[in-house]
Amino acid sequence: MQVTCRSIARAAVLTAGLILSLTAGAQVRGGSVTVGVEQDIPGFDPLVIGIYDTGAMAAAAVLFDTLTRLDDDGTVQPRLATSWTHSPDFKTWTFKLREGVKFQDGTPFNAQAVASNYRRMIDPDNHCACAFYLSAIARVEAADDMTVVYHLRNPSVKLPALLSPPTVTNVFHSPAAIKERGKDYNRHPVGTGPFRLVSWQSGGELVFERNPGYWRKGHPYLDKVVVRPMRDPNARMAAVRAGDVDIIWHDIADDVVKARADDSLTVREFPASGVSAVVFNLEKPPLDDVRVRQALRYAMDLEAFTQSFMHGLMSPATDPYGPGSGFECRDVGALHYDPAKARTLLKEYGKPVRLRYMVTAEPRGQAVGQIFQAFWEAVGVRVTLDPVDQTTFVNRSFVGDFQIGGWRIIDLADPDPQMYADFRTGSVVNISNYSNAKVDRLLEEARNTADTDRRIAAYCDIARELNHDLPWIWVTNNHYFSIARIGLRGVHKQYSDVVDVADAWWAQD
Amino acid sequence: MGWRLAAFIGRRLLYLIPIVLVVTALTSALGAMLPGDVAVSMLGTQATPAKVAALQHQLGLDLPLWRQYANWLGGLITGDFGVSYRTGEPVLSAIAQRLPVTAELMALAELGALALGVPLGMLCAARRDTAVDRLVTAGAFGMLSMPPYLLAVVLTYFLAVLWGVLPSSGYVPLADAPLANLRSMALPVLSLALVEWPPLARVLRSDMITTLRQDFVLMARAKGLSPLRILFVHALKPSSLALVTVIGLNLGRLIGGAVIVEVIFGLPGIGQMLVDATLTRDFITLQGGVVFVTLGFVLINITVDMLYAVLDPRVRHGSA
Repeated sequence: MQVTCRSIARAAVLTAGLILSLTAGAQVRGGSVTVGVEQDIPGFDPLVIGIYDTGAMAAAAVLFDTLTRLDDDGTVQPRLATSWTHSPDFKTWTFKLREGVKFQDGTPFNAQAVASNYRRMIDPDNHCACAFYLSAIARVEAADDMTVVYHLRNPSVKLPALLSPPTVTNVFHSPAAIKERGKDYNRHPVGTGPFRLVSWQSGGELVFERNPGYWRKGHPYLDKVVVRPMRDPNARMAAVRAGDVDIIWHDIADDVVKARADDSLTVREFPASGVSAVVFNLEKPPLDDVRVRQALRYAMDLEAFTQSFMHGLMSPATDPYGPGSGFECRDVGALHYDPAKARTLLKEYGKPVRLRYMVTAEPRGQAVGQIFQAFWEAVGVRVTLDPVDQTTFVNRSFVGDFQIGGWRIIDLADPDPQMYADFRTGSVVNISNYSNAKVDRLLEEARNTADTDRRIAAYCDIARELNHDLPWIWVTNNHYFSIARIGLRGVHKQYSDVVDVADAWWAQD
Repeated sequence: MGWRLAAFIGRRLLYLIPIVLVVTALTSALGAMLPGDVAVSMLGTQATPAKVAALQHQLGLDLPLWRQYANWLGGLITGDFGVSYRTGEPVLSAIAQRLPVTAELMALAELGALALGVPLGMLCAARRDTAVDRLVTAGAFGMLSMPPYLLAVVLTYFLAVLWGVLPSSGYVPLADAPLANLRSMALPVLSLALVEWPPLARVLRSDMITTLRQDFVLMARAKGLSPLRILFVHALKPSSLALVTVIGLNLGRLIGGAVIVEVIFGLPGIGQMLVDATLTRDFITLQGGVVFVTLGFVLINITVDMLYAVLDPRVRHGSA
């Protein structure tokens, strides 16, 4: 049954693709699209807000441009940069910029503007929370008006791809507008993108109108884009069903199944890289003992979990990379459901195991918590759920005040930044306090190698080590969804979980 | 009488000072008890202890709590509500933009509740112990036990998704387009009004039953006045003392209901601001919101007390 559903879905996607290619060039101009996102948007100035979440990125995708973009095959294409070259050691990258691009305030986009954006974020006096994402960059300088050079601290083989999503460190603000607006800039952002922000009520929706001076001739197709924060998932789903909203970011499996059955809606999905995971704190007993961690993994029937709780929309993960990464590892030694083995390991351990499991206090976090709790209690482990809000969750993860927690590896074009941060001995983001000399060596090797096959081999070896040591249990591969009204076309693939309507248009009925 | 009323109002306004102090001090203390602060929230998944400490220092969060509170209070006295840690937006400007949304929501919800509760309460009193009375009573208890968040979902499903008569989201400012504004407020207002009318109807019913037994009503009947005229013109005012109290209490409760309804319908009001500020530990914004909610609560109560004087001559003449 599952296979049938999937093949139908795949056929539908193929057909849609075919229709799209047949009608290419027939994009209709005009109209407006309202995007329903999960979070309230705190603003756009990197220094003020530090990071863009999915809501802010949906807005950033229409307001700003990045140097590069990924096409639907995942290949890097030019955007604000027209071409790029790298030094043999991949530590220096040179980008040629597009001529004639202007910010929405009329000032020119050039190498000085790019360098000034980076200087502002990296400057230690500015204390930008975004600086973490730039820790690999030593400096960015303007070689001439239309050439920027990135000097990196470590080799980065995939830099152009990593620069493609509209994250806080990848988009370019008008330096003149930053200077003129000062503290107000956060709520009055100016980019080079296809739409400019025209109104934004505090806590309400952001209204964007077409940028008449946009550098891509004939773009955008739409006249207007509205980004509307809607925290409540039921309200978001109701709004797109009622047609008040044209496309929503969504992550509730029940609703995705409902939307697939609804003739007026289209579900777009993107099997991304990365995973969601259960995280163990290895500092304190009993989770310092690998047998206990393995027992907990053996107790989990992730196949049943994904089938029932997620309607089979997401697949159980066996490594931290996922099908969207293009890294296919053969036999990474992932453990599978085997309650008998779990009991044997716990018997070997000998002492009763009592654990507290920290979950996010929202319906989804608690539901997942209860399911895993049931898995673990079935093999004789006593588990207490500890529901906390998101800020508390992150805080306690970093100060080590948890036994079992959770984390995500998000969709990025390369595993290096997150794998290195999460599993390298002594890294501040290594919340498990995991340390394995072999993994450290392999992480360095993968970072310093340009050869794709050798990198894949190194990352697959890392996955094998992690599957044995189990500081984290991979739960599901990332899979992102959006639900839209049927006539909406030209929505980009949901790379990095960004609902990107910059090139969207309405099909004529 | 004029100066006594002024003295009364003045006294009540003076109470406002200790109330605001106590409420905001408590909010501060409660906030400090929550794990993580705005620095943790802003840094998100990069909230390592070293980074948190640096950002806390930058934001002045490493000062002792009493000094942070004193600083904030000092600003408040000069009318400076501070600047949101999270968005850099002046708190007063955020409140100024959001207050009209919440005020409109509450006013319309209370009007809706009155429009339902007053006629139904009078109907029940006039037709006491009949089938009509029992039906309305059953309906009242049914609605009373319905939480607004459930009602909001049910109403959205029928009125927005199934029949498409009302929009399920998308606030339109009143000044931009009054009609579209009312349409966008309809579902949130209904979600609140439909659970708020029962206490009004119940209280009015019982008071009015007492009133209808009074001699002057018998007199009016004997004069041959129409039943509707007796109810509205003669009986309503003397029966509405408890009603006014309940309206005051209701409005206080509505502030809580507004929080839930604003989040569900994505209305950019004070309630949503309080929720966002709490979740992100943006306590400067939270404190500012709390001051306005407290003000609103106290002003509503003063108004109710003044209405007693208007409605009941005994209060006015100080001879209860």
